[in-house]
Amino acid sequence: MTLQAAPRGLRSWQLGAREAIPLLGGYIPVAISFGLIAVQAGFTGWEAVLISTLVYAGASQFLFVAMVAAGAPLWFVVVMTLLINARHVVYGPNIAPWLSSSRWWPWLMHGLTDQIFALSHVRLPQLPAPDRMGWFVGASLVAWFSWIGGTALGAVAGKELTQRWPLLAEVMPFALPALFLVLLAPKFASRLWAITLGATVVVALLFAFYGMKNAAIPIAAVAGALVYYGLSILSRDRVRRGGETKDG
Amino acid sequence: MDSKLWLALLVTAVGTLMMRALPLLWMRRHLVRKQAANPLDAMPPWLTVLGPLMIAAMFGVSLVPASSTPAAWLATAMGVLVTYVVWKRTQSLGWPVFAGVAVYGAVIVLGTATASG
Repeated sequence: MTLQAAPRGLRSWQLGAREAIPLLGGYIPVAISFGLIAVQAGFTGWEAVLISTLVYAGASQFLFVAMVAAGAPLWFVVVMTLLINARHVVYGPNIAPWLSSSRWWPWLMHGLTDQIFALSHVRLPQLPAPDRMGWFVGASLVAWFSWIGGTALGAVAGKELTQRWPLLAEVMPFALPALFLVLLAPKFASRLWAITLGATVVVALLFAFYGMKNAAIPIAAVAGALVYYGLSILSRDRVRRGGETKDG
Repeated sequence: MDSKLWLALLVTAVGTLMMRALPLLWMRRHLVRKQAANPLDAMPPWLTVLGPLMIAAMFGVSLVPASSTPAAWLATAMGVLVTYVVWKRTQSLGWPVFAGVAVYGAVIVLGTATASG
């Protein structure tokens, strides 16, 4: 992808903030739903906002609230909410080569959600090293504040909002797949990657369609890795056999 | 919230941060140990493959519309097509997303109008 570094006059954090705007389409409607569900489950609006501020992990927040409301043992609630985010452990190492040795980075990882990872994985390598932290701070703050703000809105007026603009809540989340597609598009130039990514997308889509949204991401990624390494071995074998035929 | 619930919330919050931060610290140490001129060369190859695959998996999951109607699936297909075409032309980040959402929304609105009319 030929994305450019910060245009003249635009600071790195401003560029990050601007590039995170498509995430709002996916974040705000979900955050509004979370605020609404948390209040319905017996939490106050402030508690819902606090959960979004401190935990800041979509699926596990929904699970946390639902399990507490259902009266599950608290140790089990904690284990399950952490397990559901286990995929996050591969995000930090994947962007590590582009991060400086600043001691702020580990704390900034609070903002490393699925979507911020996807954006950073493509964008950080394209930015000059001194701009990377500013860009990450700008992007992750926009995403974090939209999540917190959306939760507050959902807690206060979620029911009214979803009744008045049901169509908006249905349309806005399409910003997420559109963003992911733009981030992946340059990879489709290689045949190996096109087949691998295509297989990963199909597996994830099928699992999500059958209601296994959280399992879908790690399972599809593993399936994609099998396709990638399978195809790599096949093409290496073909090249070797071609070489042997020539030699023979 | 009672004190036990507060504790559970704090443990979840700290645990989530640790899951995001500790692997980064581990990889940093790994890169320093390897002292490679290009840090990418020092990364385990499986990790560099896994990154794009995680994004592809998120893409697949996010394609499933909230309401699984034919109109929503058609809107998804049209939205994806338009996003890709606009990306091909502009090679930018914002315009393809904007165009994709606009077309997705237009198809949904048309579908809703047709169904109710």
